[in-house]
Amino acid sequence: MPEFDLDSFKKTWQEQPVQQKYDNNEILKMLNRKSRNYVKYIFWISVFEFLFFSVMGLFYFFQGEETNGFLNVLEKLGAEKTPEVENNFDNIYLGLKILSLLVTAYFVYKFYENYRKIKIEENLKGLITRIIKFKKTVNAFILISILLLVAFTSIFTVFVFYALNSQNIDPANSAVTIFVIGITLSTGLCVLLIWLYYRLVYGIIMRKLDRNLTQLRDIESQEN
Amino acid sequence: MISREKEFAQLIKDNQGLIIKVSRLYTNSLEDEEDLFQEIVLQLWRSYDSFKGNSKISTWMYRVALNTAITLFRKKSKSLPTNELDINHRDFIEDDDDKQQQVSLLYTVIKTLPNVERAIVTMYLDDLPYKDIAENLGITEVNARVKMNRLKKTLKEQMEKYA
Repeated sequence: MPEFDLDSFKKTWQEQPVQQKYDNNEILKMLNRKSRNYVKYIFWISVFEFLFFSVMGLFYFFQGEETNGFLNVLEKLGAEKTPEVENNFDNIYLGLKILSLLVTAYFVYKFYENYRKIKIEENLKGLITRIIKFKKTVNAFILISILLLVAFTSIFTVFVFYALNSQNIDPANSAVTIFVIGITLSTGLCVLLIWLYYRLVYGIIMRKLDRNLTQLRDIESQEN
Repeated sequence: MISREKEFAQLIKDNQGLIIKVSRLYTNSLEDEEDLFQEIVLQLWRSYDSFKGNSKISTWMYRVALNTAITLFRKKSKSLPTNELDINHRDFIEDDDDKQQQVSLLYTVIKTLPNVERAIVTMYLDDLPYKDIAENLGITEVNARVKMNRLKKTLKEQMEKYA
């Protein structure tokens, strides 16, 4: 090979035939593909959350150990296991479980309905709109699950006081205080963790998705 | 009215040679090359709004493309070890055209360079002024010139050795 000089080679380099690999439509698709993946990512997180909360709900529904656990707590606080207490608690517990199951069943239906629409949605703007709608359903489900959890623990706590009161036991002793503090802290911690998770996972993702959607709407309005 | 997205697609189509070159120089397989191409297009789209035309289109495109290749594609843009030159070069020998053979060899030789040096040569070959090369890489103009002079020697040696 004769002497190589980079400067004289510049022209050859610049004139190298570069195959035109992509046309305008393929380039436009590239922009959308990423958003689509992004949307799918949110979708699968939502699916996971929904399944997680449903399975947890159903698990507690079929697991019947709470009654004994609860009555043991009552015993530790100094109350007796009377048939009246057991009966009342069973009724409340059954009511809450049925309510929780009905809520889950309703959301399973809504979830499936939204899921089917997303599967057939091809247009990106429509897809993002549907995913946001879908996300709202999942958010509502999780919010209601949290409310049910808080309602459950509140009713449970009130019932403890009711049971202690009906047996004329002084609720001011230290075991009761520890019990109330424990249950409040654990419920608070649960809610806080879920809230933090939401701030972290969705605070960022949803903002970006909203921005994408605004961009897509702008493009659409320019076209019209 | 032409949408901004379509205007952008046209711009990419017209300048895809630049992105293809960078993608080819920073990857070692066709699959990675295509991935990097797409990634660069996305990064360009993201920064399209902030591109106000203060610099030349090619300078802006090089800046985004090279930053994407060097930072986002860090693992895949590893330099080729020099002992792989023989193997890689052999692949290009099939080219009929003499000049094309040289271009292919130059690609392979450039790929043995570290990332920043690769970027300098790429922009230099496309006639970007030293001022823009330095700005795009966050180095001084003097530094860019010094590095480029050294690189010319290295490339000359390698090209003559493997030709």
